[in-house]
Amino acid sequence: MDDTPQITEDEFRRLADFLYRRTGMVFTETKRYYVERRISERIVATSSQSFAGYFAYLRSEIRNEVEHLINAFTVNETYFYREDHQLACLSSDLLKERISGKRPGDTIRIWSVPCSTGEEPYSIAIWLLENWKDVDAYDIEIVGSDIDTRVIEAAVEGTFGKRALMKLSSELIERYFHELDNERWQILDDLRQSVRFSRVNLIETKETRPQGRFDVIFCRNVLIYFDDESRRVAAENLYDNLLPGGFICLGHTESMSRISPLFEVCRYSGAIVYRRPKELRA
Amino acid sequence: MPLVRKPSSPTETPASDGRTVSEQLISGSDDERWAAARSTYLLQDALPLLTAALSKEPVARVREAIFTALAKIGSAESAAVTIPYLRSDDAAQRTLALDALRAMPEASAQLLPGLLKDVDADVRLLACEIARALPANDASRLLAELIGSEQNANVCAAAIEVLAETGDAESLPILDRCAARFPEEPFLAFAIQIARDRIGSR
Amino acid sequence: MSDYSKKRILVVDDAALVRTYYRSALEAHGFAVEEALNGLEGLEKVLLQPFDLVIVDVNMPQMDGVTFLHTLRAKELPISGIPALVTSTEAGIQDMAAARRAGANFYLVKPIKQETLAEYAAILCGAAR
Repeated sequence: MDDTPQITEDEFRRLADFLYRRTGMVFTETKRYYVERRISERIVATSSQSFAGYFAYLRSEIRNEVEHLINAFTVNETYFYREDHQLACLSSDLLKERISGKRPGDTIRIWSVPCSTGEEPYSIAIWLLENWKDVDAYDIEIVGSDIDTRVIEAAVEGTFGKRALMKLSSELIERYFHELDNERWQILDDLRQSVRFSRVNLIETKETRPQGRFDVIFCRNVLIYFDDESRRVAAENLYDNLLPGGFICLGHTESMSRISPLFEVCRYSGAIVYRRPKELRA
Repeated sequence: MPLVRKPSSPTETPASDGRTVSEQLISGSDDERWAAARSTYLLQDALPLLTAALSKEPVARVREAIFTALAKIGSAESAAVTIPYLRSDDAAQRTLALDALRAMPEASAQLLPGLLKDVDADVRLLACEIARALPANDASRLLAELIGSEQNANVCAAAIEVLAETGDAESLPILDRCAARFPEEPFLAFAIQIARDRIGSR
Repeated sequence: MSDYSKKRILVVDDAALVRTYYRSALEAHGFAVEEALNGLEGLEKVLLQPFDLVIVDVNMPQMDGVTFLHTLRAKELPISGIPALVTSTEAGIQDMAAARRAGANFYLVKPIKQETLAEYAAILCGAAR
C-alpha cells in the first residue's frame, strides 16, 4: 500500500516554481509522482507535519535543506566516464580551441573541482589518452581538488570498486588499472602520479588562487548548493582561475544563469559550455 | 605514457608592484582593478573606497566584483551604497544592484520597509523581489501592506508574484481588495487567481 | 515534445506568473512556447533550439533584457536575427530607447493584455493569420 501523501497540484506548482527559480530544473506535470515520492521522503526526514510546514522550512534555508532536496533529484554517484558527452566535447571541441593559441610542447592545464575520490580527473586522463589525437603533442597537466581531505587521500590512492568502473570497457580497465585482491582495481602508477591533487575550498580565494590558471575547468554539481553570496565568490574565483578564452563545464542540470553573469555562453556539440572572454587586445 | 610528467608547481601570482590595494582599485589595469575590488572588503575603510570606485568604474565585471565586495561586508551601510543603483537608467546597473542586495539578505531586510515605500515605482517593484528572501510571514506582512495602498499595477503584480510563494490565509482578503481596485487589469486578475489558488491549498 | 510545425516563441521573464500568463495566451493562438527566467538562460535556450520570436523583459536577475539583446545580436546568423519583442514597466521610457539601440523589433509596456501580446507575436514572427 502506497503511503505517499498526496500533494495538491497547487503545492506541486509552488514547489516546482521554487526549484526552477533556484536551480533551473524543470518539473512538469508528468514528473508529479516522481516529485511527490521525493518530497515525502524529505517531509519525513525533516519531521515536517505537512507540505506547507516543509515548504516553509525549505525557504528558510536552515541546514541547507535545498541541498538535500536537490540531491534527492540528482544522481550523486561518482563513477568513471560519468557525463562522458562533456569529455567528448573536451576532446572534439574545447581543446581544439585552446591549442589554436599554443605551440606543440606547450602546457594544457585542466582542473577538476570538486574531484571527490578521483573518478573525474582520472577519467579526463584516460579519455584524452584514448580519444584525443594530439594528446602526445602537448604537456597536459590535470589537477583534482576538493574541500574534503579524506576524499583527496582516496583519490591519491586511486583504488576503485566495480561500480565506479561500470562504464569502462574491460579493455580500458585492463589498460589503465591493475586488479587488487578484493574486487578492487587501482589506477596504474604512471597515471596516478600524473594527476596532482590538492585541498581547496572554492569559496576561499587564498586557496583557489595558488592553483593557477587553467584552459578547462570541470566544476560539476557543487555551485548550485551554495548560497547567493558564496556562489558569486566561487564564480569569481573560477573566473580568476581560467585563462582568457578558457572554458568551464558545469553539471548537466546546472546553469550559470542561476550563478553568475561573468561567463560567456557557448554551444559545442549540442552542449552548453561557459567561457571566460578572450582578451580584447590583438 | 604521454601524461606522465613532473607536475609543475602552481603558477606564482604576479608579484605586487608596491601599489596599495586602494591605489590599484582606481588606477590599475582592468585585471588589477578587478583583483583589488575583490580584496578591498578586508580593508578598514573598505566602504568609502568601494563607494568611490563604484561611482567611476566603467567595466562591468569590475563593477560586479565591487558589488560582491559590498555583499561580503553585508552591513546596512554597504546595502545602502547599492540602493542608488536600483534607480539607474541602465538596466544592467539595476540588475547588479538587485543581485547584490539578494546576496546580503539580513542587511537588505533592514532597508526593505523603506524601499517598499520609495517614491520611484520601479524601486518598489524591485524591492518586492528582495522581500522573497525574508521568512514567509515577514514577506507576506510587508507585501500585504504594500498592496493595500499601491496604485501602480506593475508593482502590485510584482508583490503578488512573491505572495503566491509566501502568502497565507491573511493575505487573501488583501488580494480580493486589490482585484477590486484594478478592474481593468486582466493580468492582475489572472495573477491574483493563481495566488489565491496557491495560498488556498495550505 | 517540441512541435516544430508551430511558430516557436521563447518567453524570457523572471516572473513565473507573467510567463504563465503569456504562455496561456500564446498557446491558445497556436504557438509553441518555451520559457527562460533571465537573459542568460534565454541565451542558452536560443543556442540549443530554433525560435521564431523572443519576448524578453528588461528587469531580470544575472542578465537584463537589454544586455541579452546586445549579446544575441552579436552572435552569428540565424540566431542574431531572431525577432525580439521587448517588454518593460511604463516608468522605464529610457528602457525603450535602450531596447531600440540593442536591436529590439518592438516594445510593449506592461501590463500587457493577452490579445495584444498574441497579435504582435503573430506579426513579428510572420505567422499566417
